[in-house]
Order: sequence, then C-alpha cells, then structure tokens
Amino acid sequence: MIELREVSKTVMSGTEPLTILHPLSIRIGRGRFLAVVGPSGSGKSTLLGLIAGLDAPTSGSVLIDGVDITRLDEDRLAKLRGEKIGFVFQFFHLIPSLTALENVSVPMEIIGLRDARQRAEVLLEEVGLTGRAHHYPSQLSGGEQQRVALARALANAPPIVLADEPTGNLDTTNGRHIMELLRKIHDQRGTTIVLVTHDAELASLADSRMVLRDGRVVEMVDHDVPMARARGER
Amino acid sequence: MMFVLRMAVRETRASWRRLLFFFLCIAVGVAAIVTLRSVIQSVRGVFGREAKSLIAADVLLSTNAEWTPDARHTIDRRLAEFGATERTESVETPTMSRPADGRPVARMVELRAVQRGFPLYGTVGLQDGQIYSYALLQHHGVLVRPELLTALGLKVGDQIKIGQSLFTIRGVITTEAGRRVGGFSLGPRVLIDDEDLASTGLLGVGSRARRVVLVRVPDDSIQPLVRALRRDFREQFVSARSYRSNDDEVGRDFDRAENYLSLVGLVIVILGGIAISSVTRVFIVQKIHSIAVLKCLGARSTQIMVVYVLQVLALGLAGSLLGVLLARGTLAAIPLALGASTSILAEADYGLSWSAAAQGVTIGILVSLLFSVVPLMHVRNVKPSLLLRDESTANRRDWTTFAVMALVSLGLVGVAAWQAASLRVGLAVCGGFAGLAFVLQLAGRMLIALIAPLAKSPSFPLRHAVLHLSRPGNQTRMILFAVGLGAFFVIGVRSLQASLLKEFSVEVSEDAPDMFLLDIQRGQADGVRAFLADATHGASHARLMPVLRARVTGVSGRETKLDTFDDVRARGSLAREYTITYRDHLEPNERIIDGAFWRGASTEPEVSVEQGIHERFKISVGDSLRFDILGRVLNARVSSVREVDWRDARSGGFMFVFRPGSLDEAPQTFIAPLKGPNDPAARARFQHDLVEQFPNVSVIDFHEILETVRDIMSKVTLAVTVVGGLVLFSGALILIGAVAMTKFQRVYEAAVLKTLGANTRTIAKMLLFEYGVLGSLAGIVGSLGAVGLTWGVSRWALEIPWRIFAGEHIGGVALTALLVAAIGVLSSLDVLKNKPLATLRAE
Repeated sequence: MIELREVSKTVMSGTEPLTILHPLSIRIGRGRFLAVVGPSGSGKSTLLGLIAGLDAPTSGSVLIDGVDITRLDEDRLAKLRGEKIGFVFQFFHLIPSLTALENVSVPMEIIGLRDARQRAEVLLEEVGLTGRAHHYPSQLSGGEQQRVALARALANAPPIVLADEPTGNLDTTNGRHIMELLRKIHDQRGTTIVLVTHDAELASLADSRMVLRDGRVVEMVDHDVPMARARGER
Repeated sequence: MMFVLRMAVRETRASWRRLLFFFLCIAVGVAAIVTLRSVIQSVRGVFGREAKSLIAADVLLSTNAEWTPDARHTIDRRLAEFGATERTESVETPTMSRPADGRPVARMVELRAVQRGFPLYGTVGLQDGQIYSYALLQHHGVLVRPELLTALGLKVGDQIKIGQSLFTIRGVITTEAGRRVGGFSLGPRVLIDDEDLASTGLLGVGSRARRVVLVRVPDDSIQPLVRALRRDFREQFVSARSYRSNDDEVGRDFDRAENYLSLVGLVIVILGGIAISSVTRVFIVQKIHSIAVLKCLGARSTQIMVVYVLQVLALGLAGSLLGVLLARGTLAAIPLALGASTSILAEADYGLSWSAAAQGVTIGILVSLLFSVVPLMHVRNVKPSLLLRDESTANRRDWTTFAVMALVSLGLVGVAAWQAASLRVGLAVCGGFAGLAFVLQLAGRMLIALIAPLAKSPSFPLRHAVLHLSRPGNQTRMILFAVGLGAFFVIGVRSLQASLLKEFSVEVSEDAPDMFLLDIQRGQADGVRAFLADATHGASHARLMPVLRARVTGVSGRETKLDTFDDVRARGSLAREYTITYRDHLEPNERIIDGAFWRGASTEPEVSVEQGIHERFKISVGDSLRFDILGRVLNARVSSVREVDWRDARSGGFMFVFRPGSLDEAPQTFIAPLKGPNDPAARARFQHDLVEQFPNVSVIDFHEILETVRDIMSKVTLAVTVVGGLVLFSGALILIGAVAMTKFQRVYEAAVLKTLGANTRTIAKMLLFEYGVLGSLAGIVGSLGAVGLTWGVSRWALEIPWRIFAGEHIGGVALTALLVAAIGVLSSLDVLKNKPLATLRAE
C-alpha cells in the first residue's frame, strides 16, 4: 500500500522557488495498476521519485506499507528500495560495465541472496532474453535494454514496481512489448504498478488513470481507487 | 559482502585499461624503492661479512704522529692485559713515485709500509692468480695497483723510485684488506715492506704519515680493549676502534643511504598517487550514473565506496607486484653491468630482498589508497534522484571529508617518515611536496591566465586548444604538475652539472694555481724556491707557505668555555686536526670583519680565526685558544676574525692564521701553490725533476684531481638524471592516462565538430596545439622551478656563483613540449578516426 499525505515539492529555479508538485494526497492499494499521465513538466516523474524515496518532499509524508519513508535515512531508504520497490526508467539506466545477467543480479546480491545468478537467468528468460545474458548494454538494442531493466526491477520480487516513461525511448513495437510485460507482471504476480507516461493509449492499459498538469491532479479515472482530492485545487 | 566483492571484480574488469597508466607509475616507484633497498642491503651484507678484513684486524689504533715511547708502552701493556694474540704495524703516507729508468713522469701514490703479519684478516688479492706473501715485499719489493702501471708505463719486473729508494714491482694488487672504502684517495695504492720505509727518507718532520697498529684479540676482549685504549689516549690524538665499530659506522651510513635513496622511489610513488587522486575524481564523475543506479537498487553509500576502494587496492597491489618484478629484473642485470669489476661491489649477490619487496608493496598499496580516499568520498554526494532529472551533484565538503583529509595527510607523513626513518624528514618531504605542488599549481594557473588572450586568436584550432585547457574536468593541472615536476628534475640537475663544470674550468684557467707542492722540509725550502724560480722548469706564481698541524684543545672565551679536549671533542669538527700557518699580511682573498690584523712579528701568540669558526663555535676577538702543535701547547689570543673567499684558491685558505714570532721555530713544513707548465709533457717532466731533487716532496696535480672530480660528478649526474628521467617517464605515463581518461569528452566534441564541418586535419591541429601549449607550459613551469633550484643550491649548498644556462632551459622546454604534443596526439588517434554518427548515437 502506497499513501501520500499532503505531499508537495518545491525547488529553487535560480533564485526563485518553483513548485513542481502542489500538496497532494493519494492512496494506491496493493495490487493496483495506476497510470500517471500528463504533459512534460507536470510533475509526473517527481511524484514517482517521491514514492520511491529517491527525493524528499518539501512537505507531507509518504507511507509505504505503513512506514513513513520521509523519516528514513539514506541507507534505510536504500534498503527499503532494494526490498520493496523495482524501478524502470525511460533511459534504462543499466550499468554499462556489467553484462545483462550481472545487471539483473545486482539487486539480489545487494540484499545477499545466494542464488542471485540462477534467479537472474530465470528473470531474463521471462523477458525473453536468454540468449543475450552475457552481452553488455552497449551490445543490446533499446528494446532489449529496457527488458533487462524490467527484469532487474523484478529481481527481488518487489511488491511495487515504479515505471517512468518505460516506452518513451522505444519504437511502437518494442513499447508495446514492454507494456505487455508490465501487464503480465501485474496480472501474474499481483505487483502494484505505478506507470508514468504521456501516451494516453498506453495509460488505457492500466486499471486507473491520474492526470497531472502543472503539479496538480486534474483528473482521476477509476472507480475502485479511493480518490483523495488534491488540496489547493480551485 | 559478496555484492561488494563481485562489483569490485566487475568494475576492475571494466576499467583497468583506463587506469593502467596510473598504476604503472606506482609500479615504477615501487620498483625504484625495492631495487635501491635490495642493492644497498646486498652491498651491506658484503660489508658485514668482510667487516674484519675491511680493517684487517679486530682492533685498530692509529695516529698521525710518531708513536711516543709512552704511547708504545701503554699499548704494549694493554695488549698484554687483554690477551692480544697477534699484532702488526703499518705506516701510510701519500708520496710521489716515478720510473727508475729516468723517464720524465711522476705520479702521486698512497704508500703503505707493512710488517710480516699484515693483514691479520682477509688478504691482498693479486692479479694472475699470484698469492700474496710478505716475501714479495722483502728486500725492496713493491706491489702496486694497475692504474700506476698504466700511468707510468711500467710492467711487473720494472723498478720504481719512491723517495730516495728503488723498488722492484713484484705484483699487481686487485683487492686489498684494510683499504678504507669510499674514502677519497690521492693516488693508487702501493705496498712496501716496513723495513724499507726508512730508506725512502719520507718520514721527515711534519710529514702526513698515518701510523697504524693492527691487533688480533679474543672476541670477548675486543670491546673492553677498545674502551681501555680510548680512556688511555683520551687527551692524545690516537684513535682506537674495533671492526665492530667500523661495522656500526658503516651500518649507520648504509641505513642513512638506504632510507634517503628510498625517498627517491617514494617521490615517484607519490607522483603516481597524485595522479591516482586526480584520476579517481574524474573516474567517479564518469561513474555518477552507475552509482545513482546502484543506490536506486538498494546499495548503501559505504558499500559502493568499498567497491571502489577494493578496486584501487587491487590495482595498487597489481602495480606494486609489477614493481617488484621490475626490480627483480633490474637486480638480475646488475652483475652483468658490473662485469669483471674487481670492486667490492661486484662481490654482492644482488638478490631481491624480501623485506624491501614487502615494504615496496605496502607503500604502493598505501599510497594508492591514501590518495584515492578523498575523491571517493564524493560517492556519498551522489543522489539517486539524478536518474529522474539531470541534476549536478555538489561536491560537499563536510566535517567527515575534512577529517578524512587530515587522516590521509597524517598517513602520508607517516609513510614518508617510515621510509626515511625520521619524522623530521617525513614532514620535510611531505611539506616540500605540498609546497612544490602549490608553487607548480600557481605557476600553471598564471601561465594559463597569461595565454588566455590566445583564446581570441583568429586561428580556430589554436582558439579551441587554449579554451580546452580551462575546460571543466580537464587534466591540465595534473599534467602540468606531473610533467612539470619531471622537467624540473631533469633541467635542474643538468643546469647544476653545467654550472659545476664551468666553475671548475674557471678555477683551473687563467693564472690560478693548478699544482700544490706538499711536505717541503724546512731545509729544502731555499732549494725548492730556487728550483721554482728557474724559468726552464716552467712554473710561475709560486709561493712557499709554512704550515703546521695543530688541534684546538681548549677554549676560554666569553661565550665558549671548553676546559679539556673532551669538551672540545663534544663540539664536533672543532676537535679535528687543522693545518695552520703564520704570516704578517692578509691575502687578497681575505678581509677582516672584526678586530685588527697585526703588523710585524711578536713573541706573544696571537691568532686570527676564520668567520665560520667564529660563527659555529662562538669564538670571538679577545677569547683565548689552547692549541696542541705536535705535542707542544700554545695559548693564543684571538685578535681578529677573517672572512675568506674560498672560491679564490690562489691564496689558499686557513681557518687559523698566527702572528709570526711564536711559531717560527716550531717543527714545520712548507706548501707551495703554483701554476705549472701548460704542456702535459712539461708538467710530467716538472714533477719528475722536482721529485728527483726533493724525493719526499709530493705534488698534487689539479688536472688529475679534476679528472677524478669530473668522473665522480658525471656518475652522480647520471644517477640523478636517471631519477629525473624516471619522474619524467612517470609524468609521460600520467599524461597518456589522462588523455585516455578524458577521451570520451574529446571523442564527443570531435564528433560534434565533424558534424559541424571540421575536417580531421583541423581536429588534428587542435590536438597538436592543445598538447603543444600544455607541454610548453609544463616545460616552462619545470624550467622556472629549475631556475629556483639552481639558485638555491648554488648560493647555499655549493657556494658557487649562480649561472643560467639558456641552452639547457630552452632545450628542456622544447623537448617537453615535443614529448607532450607527440604523446597527446598519438594517444588521441581514435578521436580522429571515429565516425561522428556512431559516437553521437552512443551518447
């Protein structure tokens, strides 16, 4: 369960404060698939970063399974991410010096799993990359790199997967493939997925949809999700 | 932990090629440390084994005067008391030798007259497998060093004249027990029978002969005997030592040599360390995304830091082990280089010393670690949120960073102090390095500021080259430092060598004396004067000066009071034997700085002291000095302090000059500086004729000494140039590494420029200008440093006039520029070759 309470984010742009996200409260139940859509600069990625504890909110609190992660130090946050959150980025962010298999193994090695390698092989098989396990990122196509990233996100079987424009850097076919994989993960594993995208068609694959504009929630489409109003909306 | 180890292995696998050159620097430094320490330990081993044969006895007594009956009695009594089993005596003196066939040549030799028992330990090695025996010397036989045969054109069986006596050459000496090692010698060794010494007539009054008694005693009596003899002879100028004290002394010298020489290696290792520090900074900047990803995946900052620390350790260890291998190779080559040398150095086995290897490896790893820790602290500042938006990571300097920096500084001082075996030297080396780094950095910055206007030049490649030098993340400062330091060493040392050679050539040119006559007896003075005045002999500017040998045995002054000779001895060099003179005038190279110089003679003893004596021992005008002049005690009042221009050798220089009147009748000899004939044949004839007429007079030929000095100097220069070359080599490695490290930036820029229409030629020119300018700057920084070095060393250490050799500096700067430009362009070849599209896509 992910819960945001009155969360806002303001950064300094030069000497001027710039509010990226206005105070917002939202609850995402276990096993939901939420798409966050909106144009560039609407605060989608910032929201995702706050949920993952990659960034600290200016105000409010973020709870993951009842734990307020804004009160955790960097090391505990890292531990929490390692165990509970998988991340997929638009630009893949694989480590260039590691092979596909090693990239997928890393999160399991961090928490000290003994059979990291075998599990990584299984995960690569799941995303259809068995034959590419020993290739470096630079030897893989964009679609393949994103599939490796997806396998990596699933490494510790996290209850939550956060995906930031995972298809933004891919052609339509590869983009669709990734979306299918995400859908499959959600259906088969019951993983909570928060997907950030500006593609309405992809967003329609999710259970529910939240539209952000200029740091405010302007639309929430889903009957199941208990929508909390974004504060400050007029 | 498995994660950390696996990541360290993977990271090392991915980046060792890029980091290779920096760790090669560590290898070179470690190799230098291990080689030098191993060599010295090997040589020391030989000295340890041969300690007894080095002084040829268990205990050795020596004096520069004739043994008095009292002294002999004391020695006899003590030897009997401590159960000495054997004793033998010898006399050593420098003198002239010449062929008996009348050919007009003569050569100074170091004569040693020995008795039957010599040597008590070790042996005299002879050529062609001949075995030494006392019989070879008996009845006017002589054994000589091969150099003398060459110099006089003689062979075994021929006769030579020493003093007034004829000797037959019966063998050629290769090694000799009891020969002082490393001492400066005035000529080749000549061995004769003690019984024949009197016939030479060399032991006149005031002659510089050294009398030695060699003793063999049971092991447990050695130290007590030496202590007793030292007590007995406390107030006399007799020294007593054992082979052990000799060993101790040599041991201390070796310790010092080993420690100081290994600092040379440390300098190279530290240079590598500085490069590692710089490259780690760049490396971490390049790894920021990977670090952010790892943090995003759940890794803690400390885990990631440990990954990189392990990587540095692995490469440091690899570099150090390579260094040990290099050292092993070098050590294996030494016996080949020494060939058939008969020097004691050839007897060492030159194996790799494991303690030296362990030290080298430890230092290599420590320095790699110390220099990389601070830049690695940057890992803590990398935020995983940069994966979501492009944000810079500020290099936060908090208390932890400062604490780590302080610990690292302490660690470096510790390593240097450990190597030099002295905290003071450790601090000085680190302080010196920090100071030098600061000055070189400052000079680099100023030079970059100076060439800034070139950024407006109409030439596109030049403009960009200059701009690149101040590009963020560039390696300009590191290259300036590393290459600049190498250039500094090489240019500095070569300039000093040139300056010294010039100084010596000045000294022997013009009308400066180039010969010294020694041991002219009082009765020979008029004869020698007449000989020198005879124009057919070709000497000029000759003057005879009376000299006596004296020691200061007491001081009674306002600031210094030394009642006994023991007190004087505690003041170090004041207790040594001084050559003194008396005269009624100042020489042209002297100036009174306190008191007044006397006029005419007086029976009241008065002495003028040299400025250095005045300053070092606080002896001033009005003080009273007690001298022992060949056993006679003389109290003299200090009436003036003189400044002596030591560079002007024409008039010689004396620490103590007496007023005529009190010493006139004392036993004395004369010396005479003179300008000998210019033609070598005439010089040889002059020496021969003089010695023929006055056999006990010795002639020191400056030209011969100068040859020796030149030879020593060229060896020293070669050694220091090799060190400078190693530093420069390390600088070149760092340069190649720095180019490789920042290549990704260059490749991308080149691709963009190519897309915008720049051709390969333009980009090549840009690179050439960039590295040419950088090399010139490094050369100039080194050259400026060398100017400072030569000034300081000339002024304070060598006390010679400071000269600038423009050729060395211009050549040095040009060569450095050329080297850097060549390396820079050659290691950037793929920047030129790469196709732009592939590069841009990869970005």
